[in-house]
Amino acid sequence: MKLLRTVAFNLFTWSLVLLIAFPLIWMVLTSLKPQTELFRIPPTWLPQSVTFEHYWRLLTETPFLIYFRNSVVLATATTLFVVTLGTVGAYSLVRFRYRGRETLALLVLFTYLLPSVVLIIPLYLAMVWLGLSNTLMSLVLAHTTFALPYALWLLRSFMEGVPEDLESAALVDGATRMGAFKDIILPQLLPGIISTALFTFILSWNEYLYALVLVNTDSVRPLTTGVMSMLISAFNIEWSLLMAASVMMSVPLIVVFAFLQSYLTRGFGAGGVKG
Amino acid sequence: MGQVTLTDVRKVFGAFTALEGLNIDIAEGEFVALLGPSGCGKSTTLRMLAGLDFPTAGTISIGGRVVNDVPPGKRDIAMVFQSYALYPHMTVAENIAYPLKKRGMPKAERTAAVQKAAATLQLEPLLDRKPRQLSGGQQQRVALGRALVREPKVFLLDEPLSNLDAKLRSYMRAELIELHRRIGKTMVYVTHDQLEAMTMADRIAVMHGGRLQQFDTPAAVYDRPANRFVAGFIGTPSMNLVEGAVRDGTFVFAGQALPLPKDRFGDVPEGPAVLGLRPEDIRLEQGPLQGTLRLVENSGHEQIVTVEVPGGTRLLVRAEAGRPLSMGQSATLAVETARLHLFAPGETGARLGRDPGGAVVEMAPRQSGGAS
Amino acid sequence: MTAKAHTAPALERGYARLGVLLIAPVIVVFSLVIVYPLLAAIYLSLFQIYTPTLQGSFVGVDNYMDLLTRRAFWSSLWVTLVWTFGTLSLQIVCGVGVALLLHQNLWFRSLARSLVLFPYFLSTVVAVLVWRWLFNDLYGALNHGLMQIGLIDMPVDWLGSMPNAMIGIILVGAWKYFPFVVIAVLARLQTIPEHLYEAAKIDGAGPIARFWDVTLPQLRSVLTVIILLRAIWDFKEFDLIYLLTGGGPVTSTQTLALLVYQEAFALNEMGRAAAYSVGMMLVMLVFMIVYVRHSGREG
Repeated sequence: MKLLRTVAFNLFTWSLVLLIAFPLIWMVLTSLKPQTELFRIPPTWLPQSVTFEHYWRLLTETPFLIYFRNSVVLATATTLFVVTLGTVGAYSLVRFRYRGRETLALLVLFTYLLPSVVLIIPLYLAMVWLGLSNTLMSLVLAHTTFALPYALWLLRSFMEGVPEDLESAALVDGATRMGAFKDIILPQLLPGIISTALFTFILSWNEYLYALVLVNTDSVRPLTTGVMSMLISAFNIEWSLLMAASVMMSVPLIVVFAFLQSYLTRGFGAGGVKG
Repeated sequence: MGQVTLTDVRKVFGAFTALEGLNIDIAEGEFVALLGPSGCGKSTTLRMLAGLDFPTAGTISIGGRVVNDVPPGKRDIAMVFQSYALYPHMTVAENIAYPLKKRGMPKAERTAAVQKAAATLQLEPLLDRKPRQLSGGQQQRVALGRALVREPKVFLLDEPLSNLDAKLRSYMRAELIELHRRIGKTMVYVTHDQLEAMTMADRIAVMHGGRLQQFDTPAAVYDRPANRFVAGFIGTPSMNLVEGAVRDGTFVFAGQALPLPKDRFGDVPEGPAVLGLRPEDIRLEQGPLQGTLRLVENSGHEQIVTVEVPGGTRLLVRAEAGRPLSMGQSATLAVETARLHLFAPGETGARLGRDPGGAVVEMAPRQSGGAS
Repeated sequence: MTAKAHTAPALERGYARLGVLLIAPVIVVFSLVIVYPLLAAIYLSLFQIYTPTLQGSFVGVDNYMDLLTRRAFWSSLWVTLVWTFGTLSLQIVCGVGVALLLHQNLWFRSLARSLVLFPYFLSTVVAVLVWRWLFNDLYGALNHGLMQIGLIDMPVDWLGSMPNAMIGIILVGAWKYFPFVVIAVLARLQTIPEHLYEAAKIDGAGPIARFWDVTLPQLRSVLTVIILLRAIWDFKEFDLIYLLTGGGPVTSTQTLALLVYQEAFALNEMGRAAAYSVGMMLVMLVFMIVYVRHSGREG
């Protein structure tokens, strides 16, 4: 009786999980189907023959690799910039006393919630004025608007988790403030930094609106707008190609999920969603 | 060169005054305990000595040098934290070597110094472990090792034993006394545990509400508490404190009148006062004061008896173990008036009268309803 | 010997200076990319600006009069509220439900969790592409699946007609964002002490009573935060709706974020767009304050 209940529960939950994951499974299956099988009515649930031709075409016949490179550069640059500023800033916010510190922390929280669409018009004008429109640099700066408050907020809670006594001990042992930061705090903060870096990278990798407004040439387009423009410009939508592109686009994410998932959950704990 | 002096030190956090005009003089080689309930300012005092907090006013000097503007690392002090504050990503050896490294000591010398400190504290087998692989007692010893290794003028210890279990605590207490005897360095020890302060310190600074209440030897603090707070804080079970008044050379409370020895309390003015009696200075003996036993707590080697005297006042009395006592039983009390204390009213009312010297006096009953 | 009481010690001042120095880069970047654009948006909202040439003229509060008198802002606000409410309730219900299931002993539990969490981290572009393919009226798996089960007889036009388009975006929004609720609730569930359930069991509470009397009250605080965050994020959502329907059919799924984009970059009315964006922010602020006040009073 107990066994039966267990089996029933597992079957039910797993069907639900598979239902939730179905769009993703469908994406992978579609990308593996030959063109002819794609437009069959009714659709085949499992591919009758498996092909990698769409992936091959994507890499050789489309600017996919250029977009991919742009996205890597963009997300990496944003992450480095934001995490560096954020780590040092969080150290200051948590471990130093000066006027306006609390106000600043509140301001960070407020900007964390600001709609991109409010900032985008002035940012667009500023980038045009600075001659930065259509550069990856403009996107790095634009991504800072949401990534920096986010990273600062995360790192601030991670920093609060590093015992203050450790820093005090280092000071007594003869370290300067910056020495203690380098020798003691950074190593302690490392898991938090990794977690924040992953979140920032994913945010930047997935961003669409700024890329849509600030960049309109293929050479600097990131994956998000690049792949969509492939969809829009083509006369008939090449679904198999798009599904292959979607899979490829999610590769970094799959890697993170496979190897670094604990850092993502840790970030959630620190992100203020704890009770 | 390890004397420590605090002169008129004040510390204010926003609207809260943590320390009010603190003056403490600690001699070279002395073991001083800062004792008080939590929030009394003892930890703040220690952190200011270490340079981790900053006095709002006043000066702090260590070894004759004013250190107000000297960063912690240059004050020639070492500190042991309640949490031990071992660097989790470093091995025991690296932890102990860190202060030496920060002073630019060459690697070979460093290793030798670490070996020496490890030998003193029996840490050699643990040198390659990380702190999380150690027991609480071992971590405690590593923290001590890190403090010892650089041979500072002054050791600051912030409740170093409070995270250990009772058995280990009494063992480490003995170790620390032994260590202090051997190295003879100045030690400032913050604790809320009076047993630690009484057994280890040369002198105790009792603090309360940001003020120094008394700074004296353990014996003096126990026998001649400077005010009502110290009297109530030091000693377990604590001193019986009875509100009443001085009148006609007697202490009057709840219809009782206790004659006060003239030599000690002759010049105490009449008026409200607080009587202090340690539980061991009241005896369940033939005496005119009647009482009822309300509670008998037998701890094996002694019994602590709560006696209610007419008027409702309850007194704690120490009685020897093995004596047949039971709740509800009535008894008579005798008081060792030579060891009686009088304080002015109020939470920190000052000690009144002169120092003791007298004999056992029986408490005179007074049946008429007097003032209380 | 007494030091001057009014000046902080040199050491403390030095630390404060270092602290300010360390936060300075953040403040500079913040001012450049957030504070300046925010103020500029308010400033621009007082102008009429033609996007392609960026030439403009001062019009005072005309844009705000437009906002108040024209239907566009208000109908978009309504659409935004419907979308936010719809997708948020679905996210909360599904999120709490799935979190409860995943909290139980399940075979290959960590794999199941990964599969459920994945959509949240997925690029919106990918999510939209996949769902557009699923929604496809001719070859889409959704229509065929539903027809095979017998729920519908004819293929449904998912994104091109109302109310299907609204249902479509709400559905995809819920699918994409409910894992956030799952993660947060799971984390909280793990901290509910077991003895609370044991006490409830001893008092004779069944599984349903235990959920209402033990689990839900414990989840309350975390749900308050989740609802606030998700409501804000859903309210300002752009990518998902823009890519799925583009605001259509006509303007029936045009939320405020899309309206601002539309005015600025399709109708080339940058000043009016700025005014709309300021209006949108104010609406958000009002809702936030009301919510925080309300939940603060109850908590």
